[in-house]
Amino acid sequence: MAGKAKRKGQSEYFFDYSLLLIILFLLGFGLVMIFSTSSYEAAQDYGRSTFFLEKQLFASILGLIAMIVVANIPYHFWAKFAGLAYAVAAVLILLIIPFGKEANGAKRWLIVAGISLQPAEVAKLAMILCLAVLVSKMGKGIRKAKGFFMVLMVPVPIVLMVWRITSNMSSAIIIMGIAILMLFVASPDYKKFVVMALLVIAVAAVGIYAIVNLADTSGLDFRGERILAWLDPEAYADGKGFQTLQALYAIGSGGIWGKGLGQSMQKLGFIPEAQNDMIFSIICEELGLFGAISIILMFLMLIWRLMVIANNAPDLFGALLVVGVLGHIAIQVILNIAVVTNTIPNTGISLPFISYGGSSVMFLLVEMGMVLNVAKRIQLKEM
Amino acid sequence: MVENNRTYIRKKIVVVFFLCAFVLVGLFGRLFYLMVWRTDYYSQLATQLHERERSIKAARGRIIDRNGTVIADNRTVCTVSVIHNQIEDPEAIIKLLTEELGLTEEYVRKRVEKYSSIERIKSNVDKEIGDRIREADLAGVKVDEDYKRYYPYDDLASKVLGFTGSDNQGIIGLEVIYEEYLAGKSGTILTVTDARGVEVDEAGESRIEPIDGSDLHISMDMNIQSYATQLAYQAMETKEAESVSIIVMNPQNGEILAMVNTPEFDLNHPYELPVEEPAEGGEAASGEENGESATADVAELTGEELQNALNKMWRNGCINDTYEPGSTFKVITAAAGLESGAVSKSSSFYCPGYVMVEDRRIRCHKTTGHGSEDFVHATMNSCNPAFVTVGLSVGRDAFYDYFKQFGLLTKTGVDLPGEAGTIMHKKENIEAVELATMSFGQSFQISPIQLVTTISSIVNGGNRVTPHFGVEVTDKDGNLVETLQYPVTTGIVSEETSATMREILEMVVSEGGGKNAAIEGVAIGGKTATSETLPRGRGVYIASFVGFAPADNPQVIAIAIINHPKGQYYGGVIAAPIVRQLFENILPYLGIMDYNEE
Repeated sequence: MAGKAKRKGQSEYFFDYSLLLIILFLLGFGLVMIFSTSSYEAAQDYGRSTFFLEKQLFASILGLIAMIVVANIPYHFWAKFAGLAYAVAAVLILLIIPFGKEANGAKRWLIVAGISLQPAEVAKLAMILCLAVLVSKMGKGIRKAKGFFMVLMVPVPIVLMVWRITSNMSSAIIIMGIAILMLFVASPDYKKFVVMALLVIAVAAVGIYAIVNLADTSGLDFRGERILAWLDPEAYADGKGFQTLQALYAIGSGGIWGKGLGQSMQKLGFIPEAQNDMIFSIICEELGLFGAISIILMFLMLIWRLMVIANNAPDLFGALLVVGVLGHIAIQVILNIAVVTNTIPNTGISLPFISYGGSSVMFLLVEMGMVLNVAKRIQLKEM
Repeated sequence: MVENNRTYIRKKIVVVFFLCAFVLVGLFGRLFYLMVWRTDYYSQLATQLHERERSIKAARGRIIDRNGTVIADNRTVCTVSVIHNQIEDPEAIIKLLTEELGLTEEYVRKRVEKYSSIERIKSNVDKEIGDRIREADLAGVKVDEDYKRYYPYDDLASKVLGFTGSDNQGIIGLEVIYEEYLAGKSGTILTVTDARGVEVDEAGESRIEPIDGSDLHISMDMNIQSYATQLAYQAMETKEAESVSIIVMNPQNGEILAMVNTPEFDLNHPYELPVEEPAEGGEAASGEENGESATADVAELTGEELQNALNKMWRNGCINDTYEPGSTFKVITAAAGLESGAVSKSSSFYCPGYVMVEDRRIRCHKTTGHGSEDFVHATMNSCNPAFVTVGLSVGRDAFYDYFKQFGLLTKTGVDLPGEAGTIMHKKENIEAVELATMSFGQSFQISPIQLVTTISSIVNGGNRVTPHFGVEVTDKDGNLVETLQYPVTTGIVSEETSATMREILEMVVSEGGGKNAAIEGVAIGGKTATSETLPRGRGVYIASFVGFAPADNPQVIAIAIINHPKGQYYGGVIAAPIVRQLFENILPYLGIMDYNEE
């Protein structure tokens, strides 16, 4: 453990170099994979193979600068902006209605000074901050039903807006998931959460059962069809099952050791925009089971570092802030891999630090900056 | 911060971590399943998706006559295609292809601008034009060479050989029947492409070489075919006949030396209908209102009409059509009579010019009657009353059984498609009148090939041979692949009956109705026929003659059928000379007779 080595050092405070290393590794690996995945299509469509790499590199550098800045600002500084952050997130989402940029049939982006920004990413960060402030101020209030439901209800307006206005159900699920995870940590109760989990599973099961047994599938909206395509992607190979099936081809043809970096066939247009949400399937194809498991282990290490920092945070606010970030990353990693491997129905979720996407990586790095600052406040004797 | 607060929060954070770890381990499992257990399945599907097959045509086997002359060959032609993604200057391509290929600009533009991996513009383009297009060197235009069927003799034996379609598959004739030998097996080039269909260069390509088709050696002799065709055209023109058919066969083994059906068509342009003169023929005469409209129709045939016209043009009358054989069938009635013992050579008949069968009066072609005659002379005279008597005395059941025994109810099994079956009365419907008319070849229909085959078996000693063209199959270098075998049914008639029939039929030619077929220096057997087509009374006839030589040991049998001649229509007058001229030329050629020996 990096912390142990430092225990006898001069510094009184802790800097989590392991976490920094993991972040830098994932970022670098992500850039390599984005280049490998997108170069062929980029050369075809934009005339230069580094088109996506350049954009992602630019966002990553901006993000790293932001991370360094945030890491040096005491995290309590952000507490007073919690309400404001919530409001800004809401306004940004509303701004999508008149000013949103449409891509792939969904309006999810705002263009600010030439950079496209996903308000949903802002909302994730805002929600983590808000709930951390709310819960830490509430103190023992969280043990009461009123406090519990208050924490549960605060994210709902934002979640509904993300879902309905940006028609981005996956981001809505992630935000709600982060909120529930933070509430789970803050509340001493287990029973409520077990009931909640069972309830969600039951509703999902009934829903799936209903869709599968519906005689007339023509009335289904695209989500219903997604369920059917999930259960049998080959039957929907030309429609909703296409992307999933192509991802499975990529994963399956990777084998144990993969085809080698750069050798993917599926990235040659078979998986559309493979550098986005489906990048993990190309990692599987090129680097095999070995590479895929290495990356999952890397994320597990990241989550473990976040757990260590949260457990040693100087106060509840810091701990919850880190738990929120932990939840954000864990949920996205799990859902992304589950989607790519067709373990759950297809929905667009990016793989943190690795998938192509400027706003995603920038906000993740800002969150990491906060975590690093929380880590800095840990007094070594407390470890 | 209350200390017990911290304890449960720490615990919960650890719970969260292990929950995540637990789920991620589950995903490990899922990945393991997909990437180890299912890897073969998905790799295979992915490979199928990435690989594109381009087929390499196999050269079709040639058809070679008995002298080694190639009568169906291959010629190199080109297929011109465009590859959408590689096109740089679509306008130049459209211009070039429109000019060179003689296509409309609209047609070419549609294909050039179509978004597809590869679009075929035209196949079967002459090599010269293909080379010119290739030399223009426009990006995105692809000229592939392949083979096209080529028939050096144009229209000779067109309805026998048949031709091939755009994919080099047989459409009619021998090309269809021997498809499996001739076709060969296409090879493939496997290339790896991206989702747009553009080949990925580094991936390389793998080839499966095509297997060329085998050569078919047939019994046809192009010299005889060519001469018989001349004779048929000559007769068709002088007699203004609708069509003329000639079959020349070896009656001992069923090898067909020639089969002519004029008018023939050009095998190298099988879809071009002959330029028709204003329609006035037999059919048009019956319609009152179609004077001018009939001519206009020729140019504007509908798809179905065009197909019908083509089918009619491609039809092999010797095989696909049936007719009432008329007097040539008396050979079979005679054989049945001799076999059954109902008659002998010396049986005597009296012909008053007609014969009464129940209440029907059946006339002889010689209305004054042949008077008293023996069986040999009755055959030489082709006397209907005598043959009616023979038929009736054989009796319905026995006659039907001979009909069957001679193989007339089954197809001959000739190696050409679409052989027509015999159109015959049901046994229980044969009454005296039917039996009487059948005795001289009326009231039922058989195909010319059936008649020749049956007469062959009667004069060759009683062996029903299978008429055929295919003799053997060799590979490209002439190594034998397969010798084709055909069934022979022996004992159709006794050797004795066969000898008697040869003798009688020789008399028909030397002294009887077939004397126009006689050649000095060789004994020829034969029988004439003149049948009026149904419905009768229109003056539309079919004149025919069957002859074989040498009469005592037949090596060659020939039938000539003139459909709907104008003017003189007796088989003995117009058909017998065709066989005579044919024999005069081919018997020395075949070494059956030698003019110098006399």
